[in-house]
Amino acid sequence: MAYVATRGGERAIDQAERLFRAEMGEIDAARVEEIRRAMPYLVDRVMGEASLYDPDIAALALAQTGGELYEAVLLLRAWRTTQPRLQVAEPVAQEDLVTHRRISAAFKDIPGGQVLGPTLDYAHRLLATEVLTGTPYTPAAVEPAETPAPAKQPSVAHWQAANDLVDLPEPDTTAPEDIPDITREPLLFPAKRAHSLQSLARAETGSTLALGYAAMRGYGKAHPTVNELRLAEAEVMVKHPKGTVFSAGRVKVSQAEVVSKSGDKLQLGFAATLGWNEVKCIAAATLDLNSAGAEKGSATEEEFYLYHTEGVESSGFCIHFKLPHYVTFQSSLDAMRDANSKNANSKQEEPAT
Amino acid sequence: MQPIPTPDETRANQNFAALLGALSRPGQIHRLAAPGEAEIIQALIDRECRVFSADPGLGAMLRQTGALMVEPQEADHLFLGALSDLALLNLLSLGSDLYPDDGATVVIQAGLSQSQAQTLRLSGPGIETTLDVTITGLPNEFWSARRDLIRYPMGFDLFLLDGADVMGIPRSTMVEVF
Amino acid sequence: MSLSSLTKPWEPMSYGFLDPSAKRELRRKMLKAVAVPGCQMPYASREVPMARGWGTGGLQVSLTLINPKTRVKVIDQGADDSVNAASIRRFLARVSGAPTTLDTLDADLIQSRHRIPEEKLRADQILVLQVPNPEPLRPVEPNMSIARQMHGDADYGRMWLQLYEQIVRSGRVMQGASYPSMVNGRHVMTPSPIPRWDVPKLHMAKHLTILSAGREKRIFAVPPFTRVEPLVFDDVPYRVEEHGQLTCYRSGAEGFFMNEIPQPDGSALHEISDSEYGVKHIRTAQGEPDARGETWYQNGQMEDTP
Repeated sequence: MAYVATRGGERAIDQAERLFRAEMGEIDAARVEEIRRAMPYLVDRVMGEASLYDPDIAALALAQTGGELYEAVLLLRAWRTTQPRLQVAEPVAQEDLVTHRRISAAFKDIPGGQVLGPTLDYAHRLLATEVLTGTPYTPAAVEPAETPAPAKQPSVAHWQAANDLVDLPEPDTTAPEDIPDITREPLLFPAKRAHSLQSLARAETGSTLALGYAAMRGYGKAHPTVNELRLAEAEVMVKHPKGTVFSAGRVKVSQAEVVSKSGDKLQLGFAATLGWNEVKCIAAATLDLNSAGAEKGSATEEEFYLYHTEGVESSGFCIHFKLPHYVTFQSSLDAMRDANSKNANSKQEEPAT
Repeated sequence: MQPIPTPDETRANQNFAALLGALSRPGQIHRLAAPGEAEIIQALIDRECRVFSADPGLGAMLRQTGALMVEPQEADHLFLGALSDLALLNLLSLGSDLYPDDGATVVIQAGLSQSQAQTLRLSGPGIETTLDVTITGLPNEFWSARRDLIRYPMGFDLFLLDGADVMGIPRSTMVEVF
Repeated sequence: MSLSSLTKPWEPMSYGFLDPSAKRELRRKMLKAVAVPGCQMPYASREVPMARGWGTGGLQVSLTLINPKTRVKVIDQGADDSVNAASIRRFLARVSGAPTTLDTLDADLIQSRHRIPEEKLRADQILVLQVPNPEPLRPVEPNMSIARQMHGDADYGRMWLQLYEQIVRSGRVMQGASYPSMVNGRHVMTPSPIPRWDVPKLHMAKHLTILSAGREKRIFAVPPFTRVEPLVFDDVPYRVEEHGQLTCYRSGAEGFFMNEIPQPDGSALHEISDSEYGVKHIRTAQGEPDARGETWYQNGQMEDTP
């Protein structure tokens, strides 16, 4: 047969995939374990954007994709699609979080204290180049405080509410199983509060930062103060069919609450995500803070930022431009050539004055 | 390894093919895998749905799907059995111009056999020119009530069920009564 | 109620990849899409093992419709051997066990990106078109909430104005592919980025077309025998690409939509875009029995242009 060897396409894509995977070579459990151990923050970021908490699976996704973050998140999201939904966990309250780090920029000190926890904030960012020449880098041992900070910490906003500085949002009493779920319903606008927070929770870190940063630089109306930033662990409380509620384990979570003065009260912006990811939470909370009354089409308008921080969609659309578009291109060429020839004809017909 | 559908999957797949065919070609009779509403319920209904049933016999199955049982005006899917009370139609959710998909899906039992009863002339999407059909067992004035309610694209979509036979009448179909 | 009545045996992956609840949602939305032709219905759009923008919307529809007997054809830009078409076809077969085909006439389900085959589709076939951008109003209104309101109000004035401005400036409508079209006299729809050549194939067709945008989470449909009318002014007729007189340099087929292949000497050759129809043409020329079906276009002309 003289025409296209139709199987050619399939062979080409097969070999292209092999080329990609050859670079990573064999993947074994030890590699996955090492990724998980060595890169907890990367694993957290991927879990947050995938909205799937499973460090082993996330480390596996990173191993399989060679750290191509968008691919790793897509891999996890696609896997998540196939998983049954067994239970809706009980709501998690701030006061119940097992808190590792919790700071407020709004006050010098806060009830419960400023708990720095693990951070590089005050570290000098210096490379340990000696590692490359054979001297291992061993971090200095942590010296425990004489009196450990309490594991559970009160909410700063509750103190502010008690002092009439902020109006807390009305408690949402929706039963957990009735909370709108962005993975099972389309996002429509104006977005349901749950959809909006869920979208931010799984937003792509870089794009959330870009738009949040735009808001901070003045493309938003409100300037954020970090009221409270927490890195914590949350108990996942689920109900046994017999009715008893039990902990199915803990997940790492981060959350940020930012405030800005609005009239005689403070206005709150909030975001939380699975895993520890401070930059994303602060940027997302800033977008949330700015969204009320934002102009249509501005960076801080809900429709704008929720659509454009969705990493799986934005990265997928970006790379889809690699697909052939020659039919649409041909269609445009046809219109262009026709218009150009009309143009040329009408010029010829013009009097030569 | 060859993927093999579960019996539930096969059943839902087959029944949906019938429902999609029926709604795409109003007035044509399509065949479900077995008689009764259960076939439709299994293919479409789950905990995301708000359902009204006028037929107590369907209650157990509907609850098993996890669907919320609600009043007719709040339902997205209604199983009205053999409809006797036309007033129910006035309660149907018709959606909005913004979200016509909020308009209800309504399943009613009717006679779809060829008999000399009310003959209807259908036209609209899915029908090349016009199609004459015979439907029995619906209250008088059903079709005029339907016509008065639908403000396209707002409206409701009908599945008429006669045993395993199903006919679709979407809101886009014009129905003339002779 | 017992625990076993609430659970089911564990499966590593549901048949057809999507789980039953995802399929039910798609079924409900497909029915609504058929009930209001051309109207964009929102759906949750699950992630599938392919990147967004690569046919995930079409894929979800195909995965819902498919069963082990469904004969599937997948094309991209008209070609079965395009790399992404090959990838989607392989995935569909892998998760459903469905047989695949390259022959339009042989297919029960055709998933396509940017083309409608040249051979006429029948009533028993379903065409699934992949849609990158479901909103025909986006060039005049990028904000989705406002665009939805405009559809609600059937407010298409700005769309018409845009076409009018093109005619004034360029002497013709400059829209290439994705030509906005009025469906059932009510909703303006994008037919997806199919060339203008293909849009009349949707008008009063025998088959059902389902259009699905996975990334943008919208699904819409053109049922059989539904009016699909490209937006045109009474005195400026709709014009398809001027391919009616072109000849495929490989197969000799004439009067179909062509790919333009630039040549080193500055000229161009043309090859038929519907690759399998080209293959049939060659086979017939080589003396095999003529397997070509009836085509929408004859001698480069649509039989009855709307």
